[in-house]
Amino acid sequence: MGETILTARHITKLFPGMKALDNVDFDLKAGEVHILVGENGAGKSTLAKVILGAYKAEEGEVTFDGEVVKFNGTKEALEKGIVAVYQEFTLVPYISVAQNIFLNREYKTKLGLIDHKRMEEEARELLKSLNCEYIDVKSYVKNLSVAEQQMVEIAKALSFKPRVMVFDEPTATLSEREVDSLFQQIHRLKKEGIGIIYVSHRMQEFPLIGDRITILRDGVKIKTVGINECTNEELVNMMVGRDISQVYVRTENKHEGVALKAENLYDYHDRVKGVNLTVNKGEIVGIAGLVGAGRTETAEILYGIRPMKSGQIYINGNAVTVNTPLQATKLGIGLVSEDRKKQGLALDESIALNTVAVSLKKIFPKFFISNKKIKEVALDYKDQLRIATTSVNKACKYLSGGNQQKVVLAKWLSFDPDILIFDEPTRGIDVGAKMEIYSLMDKLASEGKAIIMISSELPEVIGMSDRIYIMHEGHMVGEVQRSEFNSEEIGARMMLGAGGAENAES
Amino acid sequence: MQKASMKQRIKNIPPVAYMLVVIIIVFSFMDPHYLSFSNFRNVLIQATPLMIVAFGQTCIVLTQGTDLSLGAQVSFVTVFTVFLAQHGIILEVAMLIAVCTTTLIGAVNGIIVAKGNIPPFIATYGMQNIVNSISLLLTAGSSIYFDSFTYRIVTETTILFVPLMVWVAVLVFVLVWIVLRKTKFGTNIHGLGGNREALTLAGISPVKCLIKTFAFAGFIAGIAGVITLCRVESGQPTVATGWEFQAVAATLLGGTSMREGKGGVTGTIFGVLLIQIIKNGLNVVGVQSTYQNAIIGSIVLAAIIIDAVVRIRSEK
Repeated sequence: MGETILTARHITKLFPGMKALDNVDFDLKAGEVHILVGENGAGKSTLAKVILGAYKAEEGEVTFDGEVVKFNGTKEALEKGIVAVYQEFTLVPYISVAQNIFLNREYKTKLGLIDHKRMEEEARELLKSLNCEYIDVKSYVKNLSVAEQQMVEIAKALSFKPRVMVFDEPTATLSEREVDSLFQQIHRLKKEGIGIIYVSHRMQEFPLIGDRITILRDGVKIKTVGINECTNEELVNMMVGRDISQVYVRTENKHEGVALKAENLYDYHDRVKGVNLTVNKGEIVGIAGLVGAGRTETAEILYGIRPMKSGQIYINGNAVTVNTPLQATKLGIGLVSEDRKKQGLALDESIALNTVAVSLKKIFPKFFISNKKIKEVALDYKDQLRIATTSVNKACKYLSGGNQQKVVLAKWLSFDPDILIFDEPTRGIDVGAKMEIYSLMDKLASEGKAIIMISSELPEVIGMSDRIYIMHEGHMVGEVQRSEFNSEEIGARMMLGAGGAENAES
Repeated sequence: MQKASMKQRIKNIPPVAYMLVVIIIVFSFMDPHYLSFSNFRNVLIQATPLMIVAFGQTCIVLTQGTDLSLGAQVSFVTVFTVFLAQHGIILEVAMLIAVCTTTLIGAVNGIIVAKGNIPPFIATYGMQNIVNSISLLLTAGSSIYFDSFTYRIVTETTILFVPLMVWVAVLVFVLVWIVLRKTKFGTNIHGLGGNREALTLAGISPVKCLIKTFAFAGFIAGIAGVITLCRVESGQPTVATGWEFQAVAATLLGGTSMREGKGGVTGTIFGVLLIQIIKNGLNVVGVQSTYQNAIIGSIVLAAIIIDAVVRIRSEK
């Protein structure tokens, strides 16, 4: 490991209504992989974006190569050799690989036209240095696989001759083999003396690539430790901020009768391949797995959004068909979707209207509706769920993430379904609101509701579930009872999909 | 290697090209005189102004937009040029001024769309009405005239059996093709439709880029206007009414997509030819004009539905 090439001191970044970063220090050495870890909303990506020049910090300074730098936008950071490989790809689909790599830095011929030949040659060399010579530099990016697109993204970053590279959750969309080859690349870049900031919350990956870890929580830096200086458990405790047993409160309650049973579910896109699952009344069932494992897709089948190719769903023992969300709600199934802004809420509409969105027919069985009654219902849930707002007539887009999620919950509570699916229910919300959502889930379970909880946050799944299914690449690869929970084993199965296949079969 | 790329090329031919062949065959069975050189020459000449407008529209569609003021701009050029000429400006200079004006109109469209973040459909619809009104005001509602020999030079000089105006369309095609394929500006047009975030992160301003694209389309509409003027030899405030929609239809028929910045200007040629050949064929076989629009509309719909079905199938 070399000398320190980048330091950030006392960084404070404000967003409307919250402190995303509070007096955070960070440093990076040449040739090291420095992992930034924390729960969603802890400020990992925000810190990375401040370093990249995408955000301007209100306070603090960034020093690069011994001099203080103040970037106006990412382009100035790029010119210094600070580049990012983004989580969402920043490629243009219908121009060539080479054109994407040299976007806005195109080589030109004497006539002032784009010099495709030269760009393609250099792109080919860059990809060759990544052992990806099989990628056709002339082909449209649209025609590449996700992993190939990521390699193009890395090649693009390399073309800037970087000194510092930021990887933001790079493995989120990759398969195991692709993750392997990505890690090989990172090791190689490291050897060349590039400093790497690696944003992630997948603890299984850390020993494979990391040198140091900085833990953030609620915008505050907790600690920087060497990779071998702390156990996974200590890491989780630092991330969450308290003993897990205090965050996740579960009351023991009876599970009586099967509420929902799904047999051999398949979809048309090979995302869900033979999924079996059962949920009992009064039970919280977790589905763990990586992004892309087919968890959300399974939920979509159960809720009638995603067409089912084959399989059978039973509710209370009766075979049912669920082809539309309307049918699903009539059968008493509710879905708290992964993307609350797009799917969970009408952002421009008021809290009150969103609260009654599903239950309108239930509240008003006759033709006409009454705004007064809607407001009453909304106020009731506002108090119950402690939604922080001055008025229920406020549009949802003005609420914080946690309060928006509470409105989504209010929407379902007012409808009162028997089966409730939570897809990443605590994504992007602060710890306080998280705990309220957990205790609400617990309360619902004790009332006899059947709950399915999908989450990428292992501590959360382990803390809340009575039983956990593990999904990997469309298959259920394991089922674990609460008494057998072990985060390392579940983590390994999520990553590798191995070890549990026999379990799923039986 | 060579074979694979050949296969790829065949795959890249938009379905509209096959449709074109089918329709030509159908018409030639219905009327023995249909398959003649002079008839095809006619089709080409008739198609030329719309063809040019459609090249501009293609650029706009690539950015996920539509410019509904392009037809109005074409009419405006015919009117404004004649108006200027009547007031003592040399006709050729007047043409140039008119083209500059439409470029400016395009830029204004772009500024409204990009800076105001307003859907192009609405913004350019407003502009369409404004431009149409100006044309009507300048002409008091009827056609205006200015005699000149220049018109005939454009429409009647032939090079290799093809009139000069068709060559102008060819030139515009080459220009747009080069812009899209071989310039930064063109790359950015694909980026506007495909991934604006990527442009921003690369330090490109999507706003400036959109303004440029609309201005470019305005410039091309201006050229189409000059060609139209030479054909009708007068300033007619409603000569190009509806062309903007035909241009959108031709663009979509040609395989350019409203999403992801997919497509290009080559397919648009086939799209325009298809529309024009159907019109011409229906005339030759003697179908009443009342039915013609319905038939064209049905064929446009059919082509787009077939395309959508093929796409959905391939996604499944």
